[in-house]
Amino acid sequence: MKVVGARIPRYDGVAHVTGRTTYVDDVRIPGTLWVKALRSPHHHAGIEKMDTRPAEDMAGVHAVITHADVPLLEYGHLSALGIPADEPLLALDEVRYKGQPIALVAAKDEETAAEAVSKIAIEFEERPALTDVRQAFDTDAPKIHREGNWYTHFEDEMDHRQIRKGDIDWAFEHADTIVQGVYRPAAIEHAPLETQTCQVVPEPSGRLTIYSCTQALYFSMGVVAAHLQVPLNKLKFVGGTTGGGFGGKVDTATETMCALLAQKSGRPVKWRWTREEEFLCSSTRAPWHMEIADAVTADGWILGRKMLTLHDAGAYSRFSPYGLTKHSFHHTGAYTIPNLEFDGYVVYTNRVPTTAMRGFGVTSVSFAAETHMSRIADVLGVDPIEIRLKNANRIGDTSPNGIVYTDPSTVSTIQTIAEAIGNELKAEYRTMTNEPRSGEWLPEHLVAQLGNPEEH
Amino acid sequence: MATASLALTEATDVLRPGSEDAAVEAFGDGTNVLVVGGGTIVVPEMTFRRVRPARALLLQDAGLAGITRDGSRVTIGATTAIEELVGVPAPLGPCAANIADLEIRAAATVGGNLCAGGGHEAPRGDLQGAFLALGATVRSAGEGGIREEPLEDFLPRRRERLALDVSYEEPAAGAFAGLDRPHTHDYTALAVSAARAADGTVRLAATGAGSHGIRLPSAEAAADDPEAVGEAALQDVTPHDDALASAWYRTKVLPVLVRRALTELEEPA
Amino acid sequence: MNLTVNGVTHEVESSLLTPLLDVLREELGITGPKAGCHQGGCGACTVLVDGEPRRSCLLPVAYADGGEITTVEGLGSPEDLSPIQEAFIHHYAAQCGFCTSGMMLAGQGYIARGGTDNAAAIQEALGGHVCRCTGYAKIVEAVAAAARGDSFDLTETAVGKYTKMTTGGAE
Repeated sequence: MKVVGARIPRYDGVAHVTGRTTYVDDVRIPGTLWVKALRSPHHHAGIEKMDTRPAEDMAGVHAVITHADVPLLEYGHLSALGIPADEPLLALDEVRYKGQPIALVAAKDEETAAEAVSKIAIEFEERPALTDVRQAFDTDAPKIHREGNWYTHFEDEMDHRQIRKGDIDWAFEHADTIVQGVYRPAAIEHAPLETQTCQVVPEPSGRLTIYSCTQALYFSMGVVAAHLQVPLNKLKFVGGTTGGGFGGKVDTATETMCALLAQKSGRPVKWRWTREEEFLCSSTRAPWHMEIADAVTADGWILGRKMLTLHDAGAYSRFSPYGLTKHSFHHTGAYTIPNLEFDGYVVYTNRVPTTAMRGFGVTSVSFAAETHMSRIADVLGVDPIEIRLKNANRIGDTSPNGIVYTDPSTVSTIQTIAEAIGNELKAEYRTMTNEPRSGEWLPEHLVAQLGNPEEH
Repeated sequence: MATASLALTEATDVLRPGSEDAAVEAFGDGTNVLVVGGGTIVVPEMTFRRVRPARALLLQDAGLAGITRDGSRVTIGATTAIEELVGVPAPLGPCAANIADLEIRAAATVGGNLCAGGGHEAPRGDLQGAFLALGATVRSAGEGGIREEPLEDFLPRRRERLALDVSYEEPAAGAFAGLDRPHTHDYTALAVSAARAADGTVRLAATGAGSHGIRLPSAEAAADDPEAVGEAALQDVTPHDDALASAWYRTKVLPVLVRRALTELEEPA
Repeated sequence: MNLTVNGVTHEVESSLLTPLLDVLREELGITGPKAGCHQGGCGACTVLVDGEPRRSCLLPVAYADGGEITTVEGLGSPEDLSPIQEAFIHHYAAQCGFCTSGMMLAGQGYIARGGTDNAAAIQEALGGHVCRCTGYAKIVEAVAAAARGDSFDLTETAVGKYTKMTTGGAE
């Protein structure tokens, strides 16, 4: 390995420290118009009527766009993964989250754009809002998504992500104790230091040059091309320089709208979100509701796990079904549990749609799984490190979705932690390895889940 | 090539008085004039279009900065930077040190902090409690001319006045107990200042337990009774919900901060 | 009014209440200081005013009249890096780079005031500066290194001369 452990240059290091890195907001194109958005003030409302003419007629305003200007209004960003489109680029006849963009204005300066936005006449009919995923399943809950309150397009049109392994009833019948826990991590705002910013230049050839802060240049290019219904060669994306993203700059939240404004006005346009917009309107890491019930023996074997996850997708699907799927594959954490009953729902609420953030879908379940291990140790009165080593993944063990582990690192990692915190392990734990289970580490109930690493 | 954020203030008449007299005259009776001390509070108000002044009074050159001492009487000019107070004894010193960060303290002014109006997310005026505990008086200009009055009387009308300086007698002892701020940018969620005057009188005041700093007379009356003083303080305030903390939380924590401040007050200097 | 930035005097047309940040970025095209929040909460806009770090988003440009403004561009160039810039490269103190300008200028001001390599003092001096990428440790190390006057061999970590920039990676 030539790179791991070596000191190598950051290709952008010198540029960063000399102020020469060009972020989107640093791009200077003469004649650029400023963009401001009309955003929903309500969590949930119907749009009764809207008149943008007062804005269009204002001096200094060069273009106003609404849903009517978008060639393909709804495009599922992950339709290639089977997640259908459900989110209009600009609101059509309803708004489902506070901050949802409804119309955009491009004007000669920020002040004019903001004033034009305030002149757009719009009437709403407020509707009850759903903000708690647990209430989404009540028969009297507000219905906020056209397909109901949770995603229904997993494989075979199932309405939840389901994992079944082994015999959960056997596990619960043979448990000495059932240990339960509920885990509810909150939404997290990425808060990159650079807010969402986009600059678009309409070229005389009809091509659009788009300066983007996206983390996913080709992905965003595909999204814009789809909404605009143009071939990819009509777009030139300039990017790769992001002032922090952490998963929040994949949603392609500004590029398509700026492209439409550039086309309509014939002028370069720039949209720079304020910090307030970034906090209130940009997507976040999802809040989760997780319930775990483990069937355990008195000496610390986890025979089986029942788990229910409610993933709060916010108002639209975006990438949530994908995040929940990853979550489901990892719901046993670094440990081998042979009998599983997992059900996970992508639930809609009247909140800003949630998105990826470092470790998408998995950080939540890791937090829950680890906390639950400690809870089990506490309930049983066993050592929290020993219980982890006992149930740790080994070569030949299988994951919730049937993947055979060929070289899992749980054992060595936990042993290293124990040493680092001065916890002296008993001999049998000190000498443990990740070699395939045998002897006292292969109780009857773990036999059926073994797989063959050779065949993996 | 001007852009919008520059266009916003083009219409504003900018006044830059070069002396106290000129500042007082420019302020007049205070109608239709925005006072700019350091700018740390009002410049973002203009940036986000919450304030659109017809006239702005920039005080930087009006000669209102400086700390003077006449025996035990301390007078602080209104445009003195908050950073200048960081090393002085409690409650003022630690109160000032707990404000924002070095860069903001170096630009923000004492007068601007005392006169700050309610923010749209949280009340401001971190120094108000400390000066109240010190029994400070404020000399100000505005309708009716220049006058000097106790800070308690000034605060309800602070938005109509131009603060010129604030004075207090150095206390025999002082203390400050405030909540740690999660972020340097946060205003004071809750803090208690205490001071014992030369004659032994104890004054207590809170910041963050109302729309501006407030004396705690019931707690002062119970200052000798550690069991009762915390609850007594709650009689003097109506805690509120805002972006920094809930009324419930403030109700729980105020008694704790009062007891801490009084304990610190008793410690030998 | 006139504004002197990095040794060059400009005539300013923007209104006197315009934040210095916007005069620098929008009128003068000096884009080193960044607009992270426009309300003093993040430090990305910090510049030096007569050697002292100040939030340029909070400063009416009138208050910079007669002052010497230093932005990151004035600290040094790729061909002639200042010690603090070298320290930030050597210690990998920049990831996305958006906070870097403010951090270095605040660090520079700290060192000019006699600041040492004491981590707590550095954290206090840079306390108003937010970084969402690095976790701050390497930034504090870099400022400490510059405060100590460490010298750096940047042959491994810097990418040669500006005009010969490569995409990095081991040879």
